[in-house]
Formats: sequence, C-alpha cells, structure tokens
Amino acid sequence: MQAISSPSVAWPRRKLLLLTSCAGASLALPAWAQSGAKPRRIVSISGAMTEVVFALGAQNMLVATDTTSLYPEAAQKTAKVGYMRQLSAEGLLSLKPDAVIGTTEAGPPVVLDQVRSAGVQVELVKADHTWAEVGRKVQVVGKAAGLDAQARALQARLDAQWAATQQQVAKAARKPRVLFILSHSATPQVSGGATAANAVILYAGGVNALTGFDGYRPMTAEAMASAAPEVILSSTQSIDAHGGVDKFWQRPELALTPAFKRKALVTMEASKLLGFGPRLPDAVREIHEKILLA
Amino acid sequence: MSLRCTHVGVSADGKKRLAQVDATLEPGRFTAILGPNGAGKSTLMSLLTGQRQPMGGQVLLRNRPLSAYSAADMATVRAVMLQESAVAFDFLVREVVELGRYPHRYQPTQDEAGLVQQAMEATQVAHLADRNVTTLSGGEKARVQLARALAQVWHPRTDGADRWLFLDEPTAALDLAHQHQVMRLLRKWVAREGLSVVAVLHDVNLALRYVDDVLVLDGRLAHFGPTHEVLSAQTLASVWGVSSQAVNSEDGVRQYLFA
Amino acid sequence: MMARWSARTVWLAGLGLLAMALVAGSAQGAYAISPAQLWHVLRDMVGGSDNPTPEHLVFVNIRLPRLLLGVAAGAGLGLAGALMQGLFRNPLADPGLIGVSSGAALAAASFIVMGNLWFPDLPRALGSWTLVSMAFMGGLVVTFLIYALAQSQGGTRMGLMLLAGIAVNALAGAGLGYLSFLATDEQLRNLQFWLLGSLGGARWSAVVLVGAVVILACGAGLTLARPLNAIALGEAQAVLLGVDVERTKRWAIWVCALAVGAVTATTGMIGFVGLIAPHWVRMVAGPDHRIVLPGSALLGAALVLAADAVARTAVKPAELPLGVLTAFIGVPMFLFMLRHFRGRV
Repeated sequence: MQAISSPSVAWPRRKLLLLTSCAGASLALPAWAQSGAKPRRIVSISGAMTEVVFALGAQNMLVATDTTSLYPEAAQKTAKVGYMRQLSAEGLLSLKPDAVIGTTEAGPPVVLDQVRSAGVQVELVKADHTWAEVGRKVQVVGKAAGLDAQARALQARLDAQWAATQQQVAKAARKPRVLFILSHSATPQVSGGATAANAVILYAGGVNALTGFDGYRPMTAEAMASAAPEVILSSTQSIDAHGGVDKFWQRPELALTPAFKRKALVTMEASKLLGFGPRLPDAVREIHEKILLA
Repeated sequence: MSLRCTHVGVSADGKKRLAQVDATLEPGRFTAILGPNGAGKSTLMSLLTGQRQPMGGQVLLRNRPLSAYSAADMATVRAVMLQESAVAFDFLVREVVELGRYPHRYQPTQDEAGLVQQAMEATQVAHLADRNVTTLSGGEKARVQLARALAQVWHPRTDGADRWLFLDEPTAALDLAHQHQVMRLLRKWVAREGLSVVAVLHDVNLALRYVDDVLVLDGRLAHFGPTHEVLSAQTLASVWGVSSQAVNSEDGVRQYLFA
Repeated sequence: MMARWSARTVWLAGLGLLAMALVAGSAQGAYAISPAQLWHVLRDMVGGSDNPTPEHLVFVNIRLPRLLLGVAAGAGLGLAGALMQGLFRNPLADPGLIGVSSGAALAAASFIVMGNLWFPDLPRALGSWTLVSMAFMGGLVVTFLIYALAQSQGGTRMGLMLLAGIAVNALAGAGLGYLSFLATDEQLRNLQFWLLGSLGGARWSAVVLVGAVVILACGAGLTLARPLNAIALGEAQAVLLGVDVERTKRWAIWVCALAVGAVTATTGMIGFVGLIAPHWVRMVAGPDHRIVLPGSALLGAALVLAADAVARTAVKPAELPLGVLTAFIGVPMFLFMLRHFRGRV
C-alpha cells in the first residue's frame, strides 16, 4: 500500500528539513549555544591560539588575551593580561576564566600553578615549530571552548590547505637560499636552526643560508658574505624598525650578498609569519611563491 | 699603677727607628709629649694607648703588657682624644658625648644624663648640646671630643684602678682662651680626681705652665723628666733648633720667648 | 631646628605605616574583593571554614603570601641598607656595594641561560627552587669574594671593600652581559623580568623561608646598633671605646648578605629601598642606629608594600615589575640626597 508520506519519499524530505534547520541554527546561534553548554570564559596567552578562537567563531568567549594577540584586529580590543612570560595570578583570576590557554612559554610557572589550583583549566601547548604544533593548538582551543567538533572540522580544512601547499612546494624546480633577519633592537639578528623562521623557510621550499648554529645571532658582514643568501626574509615590523626598505638595503652587511643585487626581499607581518597559527598554510604558500620570484 | 715603657721602639711607618723610650709614667700626674714634627709623638701616643703594638720593647700597665688587656677593659680605664675625629652622620653634641659612656653601658651610674651634662659644662660646650656636631667649628668639635673623653673616665673605679686620659694635640684647634681653659681643666682633674693625663703638645710654654713631666722626642733620643728640668734652653736649642730667652711671668712660672 | 622624633614615636609611626600598608594592600588587587568579603575571609581564616569562597582562595593563596613576602623583603632591604650605611660611615651606601645583588643576578642568569644544559631533566617545579637556591648561593659567594679581597693586615678595610666591590660588580655585570649574549629570546625575557624584580608568584614556602631569614637578620642586626653608633666616631675611636670593630664588620656584612641574598633570590632585584628608607628615618629621628635600624626595616616594608600595590593595580590585569617602581621613586630621592649631602660625600 502506498501512502503520501511513505518512507521512501518522506525520508529524504525529513533529512532535508533536518539539514536546513541545522544550517539555520549554525547561522543564527553563537557557537556555545550549538553545543548546548553555558558560555565558557577563555583567556588566551598565545597570538596563534587567539586566531584559532576567532576562526572557530568563539570570540565572545574570549575575555582577555596577551600582548602578542594582535590578529584579527578585534583581538586588539580585548583586555590585555600583559606579556606571556610575566603573568599575574590575581590578574588572571580576576577575569574569572574557565580556561587559560597558551604555549609552554607562558609563565612564571608558579603563577600558572596558582591559577590551576584555583580550579581553572590551564592548557599549554609545546611549541616545536612543526605543522603538528598548529594541530595541537586547534585541539586545545576546541577543548577549552567546548567545541571539539568544530575544532576537528577546522583542523580538517587546515590540513587540506596544508596538503595543497606542500604539493605546490614539492613541485618547485629549485630551493633558494633564504636568510631570515629579525630586527627588534639596535642590532639585527639572523636565524640559524631550531627557530620558527627556520621551520617556515624549510616548509616554504627554501634552504636556510645559515647553518651550524641554532637560535639567533647578531648579523655580521662576514657571516652574511659567506652565507650568500639569494633572498632575505623578514617581518614587516623589522623593516619598519629600520626605517623602510631603502634604509634596510643601505645596511653594509647586506651589500656583499647575492640578495642585495636583486633587492630580493620578502616580508610578511610577524604574527602571520612566525605565529604558527591557522594562517600558516597561507603564509607558507605566499612565501614560497615570493622567494621563487625574488 | 704606672704605665711603663721599656725599650719601646718608636718608628714611623714601621721602618725607620726613631727613638727608644724608657720611661715610667706615674699615675696622678700630667705628662706631655713634645718634639718637632715627624719625631714620632703621635706614634708614641698610639703605643701608649694600646692602639699599636711596639716593634721592640713593651708597654706595661700594672706590669702586664697592654696587649694582655681586652679592648673593652682598656676602654673602662683609659680614654683617648684623637687628633682628628670626623663624625659620620648628624649626631648631636649630646649624643657624641654620650658615646663616651659606651664602655660603661652594662654598669651605668644612677644619673647618666646628669653626668653627660656635667661633662659638656666642663669643656664649655653645654650651650651646643642640641647642635649638629658636624656644623661646629674646629675648636668646638675638639671640646666636644674632650667632653666625650672625660665622660668616659668620669667616675673613679670601684676597684681603685687608675684612670688615664690620652690627648693628641688637644689644644691645636683651640683659641687662646680655650687653650688655657682646657689645660686648667686637665690640671684640676689631675689634682683633685687623681686622673693621669698624657697629652701631645706643641706649645712649650703651655707645658711649662701646666704639666708635671715631659717626654721630649728628639730624632733618635728621648728625654724624660720633670718639666722644668728637661725643658732648658739647651734642650730647646738642641731639639727644636731655636734660640730662646727665659722670662718669669707675673705668677712666677718660667716661660720662654723664641726667635 | 625641628625636634627629633623619639624612639617610641618612630616605632609607633613605623608600625602604624606598616599596618596601614598591609590593610590597604589586602583590599587592593586585580581580583576584586570587597571590604565585606575581606572581612568574611579574615573571619574564616581564624575560625576555619568548610567551603572556602573564591575570594578566600585568592586572598589566602595569592594575595596574603605576596603581602607578607613584601613585608619581609622591604624589612630585609631596609635593614641591610641601614647596616651598610653605618658600616661604610656614608649615607649613600647601599647593600649592592658588597656584591650580593650582582652575585645573585649572575647566578640566576647562569641558571636561566645554562640551566637546560646543566640540569636537562629538572622538573619545572624544582626548577624554580633551583633558581632561588643558586641565586642565594651566588650572592653569598660574591660577597665572600669581596670580603676576602678587603682583608689586610689591620683587618677588614672598608675602603678596600668599596673598591673590590666596584671591581667585582663590574665583573659580574660583564658576566651577565655575556650570558645575555648567549641567551635565546625566551631566556632573555625571563632574565629581564627577573632583574626587574617582582613579588608575583609568592608561595607560602618562600614566605616562611625569607621571613625566617629576615627575622633572624633583624635580631642580629639590632645588636649591632650601639657598636655602629660608636663606629660613627671613626673606626680607631670605636676600638678605643672598646668596640670589637672587626666582629661588628663581619656580622654586619654577613647579616646583610643573608638578608639581601634571601630576598633577591626570591624576588629578583628590588633597588633603592635600602638607600632611601634609612635616609628618611635619619631625617626625622636622627642617626642613632638604635632607632635607624628598626625604623628602616619598618619603613622599607611599608615602601615595598606601597610600591607593590601600585605594581599590581596600575595596569591590571597585567602587572608592572616592582623594581621599576622602586627605581622611579628612588632615583629622584637619590639625586635629592646627593644634593643635600654633597658636602659630605
């Protein structure tokens, strides 16, 4: 016997209704309401993790951030808990957070212990400058916000972007010699191994022109000449600290490098370049393309 | 008991031997140490007070070397007024004089404040009692130090030990009136209280007027004895290299005019 | 001339100031605790409570230990400053002259920069105690070095100690510079904040340790008050007054080293308290060390509490480093003192 709402006809329609209502809900209700939990209060002590919070649409859970959380622009308007390595226990607790998230660079350790013992969930991610680091950050933010499903979805999207970027990089014909310059103080520093910049250079299909040491060292003319980089990579903030691109190229240490002849300079905003956040696939792809063109 | 120097070598900076002193300073007398500059007067004074140990010979108090006494014990029987005494910080005159009572802090008398007041009156600095000592003139500071030293040996000892007062050029910064006032004060203490006073002096005439015995240091020699015996015109000529003319003052005390 | 405060007035004023600073400090903080809540917390502390409120936890675990550490730190630094000024017979002396602070800083920097190399498997909790212990030892070692260099035939020569202190402090500074050169960005920032000083992260264990050291230091220091008065007449004259000057010097130097070492190891460098507090006490009550030593301890404690109250509320929820604030107050004071004392320097 056939009825008007027989299963074979009604089921697809019910499924459609369910799907559209879910879609509608996801558009109309904030993230916390979807999961059915009460709003969580989150303090983020990492610029990258702040970005993840925004990417998950959970920014109204964000009560405060640290001084490195500058992207997106809305993050700059949140309350600031100060520098990540010098936090204040009472300051953090006065925000009545449910969760404090950051990297293992956050400190002092005693302060975090005090916050933990007050019942706050403190989750720290180890920064090892790998793609997995980004995954850990996404996961921790998801857990803190009670948005594990959305976090997994975001992770999937990011993994896809990363895979695409890696494929593009793998196809490149050559690996340019790149050197990263950081300029926060008077003497510019150059990066050896085991830094975020080094990891980005390698991911972007380049070769770090400086080998044999880890961390940052002051830039010297001889070291620059022997390193012979073809492309200089730097942050936009560093170039501004020099007084602009022209003033930057006037530095005597750069004059003997191959990069100098072609004025081969690739710049990117520091938190995007070194933050190891959700913008990393984008950043790596952009750098990869630019160092090949420079 | 007496303060005895036996073969005490006086040297400047521990090197050059200046004079050898053999002398017994009897208690209850006023002794002056005289001599030209560089003769070692202050050095000898520091040996007598126990500040320094002699390189040769011994200084004996009650037949025991000074080094056998502890600093705390010594401070209860002898007071020293040094040539220079720069006071750090803005202590009041009264507070500086009170510091003279430090060695007696565990056995205070019934009226310590009164004692300090009397000491200040004795050297005519009582009117400066609440002044900052660093703002005083050189002469006033010297009299404050003297009051402090007097306060230190103010009361006779219950065990009958003699009290000694050593003064390194106490009159150097004082004006004429105060020079004589201080010497008279010391003379009075020697006579009435039995205090034994040893002072380094520059002024031969002051010594002649007020002092019982003199110890004259003369390069390699030391002359010790009653003032009028030792301070003759020949001694003055040989030790100081000045020619002198004796005159008798109105009260019968011999004084010298120098050229 | 303005009448001087008596010893009793100084004690009353000092304790009063300290009490006010404690009360004000208890009520201030990034975490809002109203006076009513504070009253409940205090009652619960005395009577015991089954269900501590968040305010209770914050006050007892975070704010109160911090306040008490501030009292201990300020008292230790104030006392040490007064002892050093008495010993060097100079109102511009500072505990840093004997090298405790620079020794502690050098040791702390060594641990921060080389710690991973020397103690790779150290758990983080133990790590902070290792830092404190190393900083404390470093302070004592450098003080010992300077003390040893100042020995001559006649005993400890303060003039030699001053010069030795300058030289050794310069060497420690160079060492610090070299370690800064070796340091990664992270280590450099950690070092920087340690050098700027902070009472943040005060734990009860630290409070008890530093408090015990400072109490002992105050006790020992007070016995040095009269000898230091006599030393103000000159070391030679003090000996002639029966003071054991060598013993007084030894005790004063080591009391300072222990007190400042314990404080610096726990809080980093907090400057100028040891310089200012004794000066202010002398200005109102005269230079008698029997008043200046306890007065400097009390005033130092009140100063540190006041500066810390500003440090933790001015930019809340962040915090300013304490050393920055004591320097902002201290440097103008120092310049004023320099002018006032220029005839005596």
